Amino acid sequence: MKRLTLLAALCAATSAQAAQDTAGLVRFVACPVYRDTDAGRKSGCWLADDRENGKRWDVTESPYKPDWNFAVLVEGRPSANAAQPCGAPALDPVRTSRLDIPCTRHMIPAEGFPGRRYTLPRRNIAPLSVARAVPPGPYAERVFPVYFEFDKDFLVYQYDDWLIDNAVTWIKAAKPKKLIVTGFAATAPETVSGVTIAERPEAAQERAETIAETMRRLVPGTAVETKWEVAAQPTDEPEADGLPWQSQRRAEIRAVF
Amino acid sequence: MHFLPQKAFALPIAALVLALSVGARGGDVPDRWWAPGEGRVLPAALDYDNDHGTLRTLTVGGPLKTAGHPFFEPLGKDGRACVTCHQPSDAMSLSVKSARRQWDRTDGKDPLFAAYDGSNCPTLPQDRRESHSLLLDRGLIRVERPWPTKSFNGNPVTPDFTIEVVRDPNGCNSGPAYGPAAGKISVYRRPRPVANMKYLLAVGFPYDPKQGYALPLDPDDGKPQSGNLMADNRAGNLRIQMEDAAATHLQMLKALTPAQRKTLQDFELRVYSAMQTSKAGGALDSMGARGGPVRLRDSQPGALGSIGEPVWSEFKAWESIPKDEAAKLTPEQLAHRQSIARGAKVFREKMFLITDTAGINSRIGFGNPVRNSCVFCHNMSQMGNDVAPGQVDLGTTTLPFADPWDDLPLFKVTCTGRPHPHYGKVIYTYDPGFALTSGKCADVGKITLQSMRGLSARAPYFSNGLAKDLRGVVDYYERRYSIGYTEQEKQDLVNLMSAL
Repeated sequence: MKRLTLLAALCAATSAQAAQDTAGLVRFVACPVYRDTDAGRKSGCWLADDRENGKRWDVTESPYKPDWNFAVLVEGRPSANAAQPCGAPALDPVRTSRLDIPCTRHMIPAEGFPGRRYTLPRRNIAPLSVARAVPPGPYAERVFPVYFEFDKDFLVYQYDDWLIDNAVTWIKAAKPKKLIVTGFAATAPETVSGVTIAERPEAAQERAETIAETMRRLVPGTAVETKWEVAAQPTDEPEADGLPWQSQRRAEIRAVF
Repeated sequence: MHFLPQKAFALPIAALVLALSVGARGGDVPDRWWAPGEGRVLPAALDYDNDHGTLRTLTVGGPLKTAGHPFFEPLGKDGRACVTCHQPSDAMSLSVKSARRQWDRTDGKDPLFAAYDGSNCPTLPQDRRESHSLLLDRGLIRVERPWPTKSFNGNPVTPDFTIEVVRDPNGCNSGPAYGPAAGKISVYRRPRPVANMKYLLAVGFPYDPKQGYALPLDPDDGKPQSGNLMADNRAGNLRIQMEDAAATHLQMLKALTPAQRKTLQDFELRVYSAMQTSKAGGALDSMGARGGPVRLRDSQPGALGSIGEPVWSEFKAWESIPKDEAAKLTPEQLAHRQSIARGAKVFREKMFLITDTAGINSRIGFGNPVRNSCVFCHNMSQMGNDVAPGQVDLGTTTLPFADPWDDLPLFKVTCTGRPHPHYGKVIYTYDPGFALTSGKCADVGKITLQSMRGLSARAPYFSNGLAKDLRGVVDYYERRYSIGYTEQEKQDLVNLMSAL
């Protein structure tokens, strides 16, 4: 996997394309605000204010959404879509990781904003009753990344399940000799909105073991080996949606023949 | 201490049970109560009236001779059989009404009131009604769980919480023989229906989004497990469930034989139970409606209502009954059918904010709060249970959401690792639920979603019987989530649930 060296200190060493990709990225810590829009199920809006510049963002499109009792680490990129159904410019792609920092819960009314009608996200899996298309060969060593919320090892619904489902479909067809699962954690401390954050080193092992157990359940009989690494570096894999911090918080499933 | 009179001990258990049963019948009409060992034949279709209409139980391949059948024969020292707490008249569960009736008719001598779990605690005087108040007032059976939890899904577990007993009104969580220090925790729960099992065992997707894992595999057949069998998900398949029940509720001294397990499993997979007729609305499978157990028997289980057949669309035809059809009904029947159809829509479409509910608002990623309706969790077509493993904390067993009851034990749970996502580090609960199986503080208070069929036959509701009737169920949700149901919507939901 091609690795990127990232962010301001490392920008000079990256390609022009990578530098362009990191431009405009937004990262801050905030107490989330719930806007009670009602356009049907799952239609409420999540807003978060970047206190360093006073900007309010719509962060609703995160695959893991905020808890109004806790601060969130917001990571995203301003959306190309100028529409503001939640009353603020949107970050999309965006991630909102729950931090163990208590917040005063705050809900505001819709104030005329419609919110978004729920649509099934691109990353959703079919029921087990639907046969998966067999991926064409030839098969060779391949790596499948899976991504996590900050400092967590929890498989994200309609994100990780889709990534794993694709990997498992391929693995079942390719029949590799073994799987090497490597967990990564972004353990280098960083200061965001005045808060110093770093993932626990244990998160790397937890991620490896979660994915390894998942593989044992989904492809029983296949040998699974676990490894873990701290001080994770970003990658440019597409399913991290161009968010370097998301790409650091990962596990990799390497199919070995 | 034993509940049976001294002279009864001279009788073989089976003969005694039969004697109690015959004595309780009081006539030639087959009794509603199925006593262990009485040897009746279970018809292919069996109807029982209740306050809301008629419940029908189908036994595929029936009739079934129950003589010698392990579901119906007393297997343990207390003279109980599976049927004792899984009565056909009660949708294969047990209603408080039936429990009280048996108490009154047998002066408390029915095997149902066995000291082990049919009383508040075996240490209490068993001949007194108050010693069985939790069963007689709320339909609760004592469930004894080991402490600390040692394994889950075959993997070793070290609980990330401690547990203390704040109060023990019944004596079964303290003293030398009971309580955490003695390695046992007593909680009190409603028996879950042994019917419509294929839906409870169905697997829709390969993941448990609430736990953030792929589904565990059945140790017997290697297939993914549904996680929807028991209140605390302590048994992932029917073998484990029946072995657990035999060793505890039946007090079997020997293990079930392979032949008994096979016979039990075969039977449990053939039983379907649902309301067939509404007292106020008439036949539930008429004028285009598709209520009743036949449809349950004939449908494929495990379908997600949001991408297939909407939940409770069995009553869609009653949303607009043509005039010529309506003319064949009494005004009361017509109004009741329309109410059932409205109730189904309210169930699916009335949105509200779901807050601070583990299994929904955490850790799954939906956010806290999240706007949705009843079908967010009750999402399986035809059945209304959860397609995913249904461990959710509605607050029914845990403070501050649970109602204040002084006759249940109260536990103080202290999280030793991360705090609970909604309750914090210290939690007060009547029943830690799934946490007693998983060993995780984040699972305290989670109870597997209830089956929704045959509700009319088996009040009260929720795992600890907090809702004495169907209106109580609606009222709890209204209290918990400030939904804002209108009076009409509440009644429509009650009428819907009475027809399932």
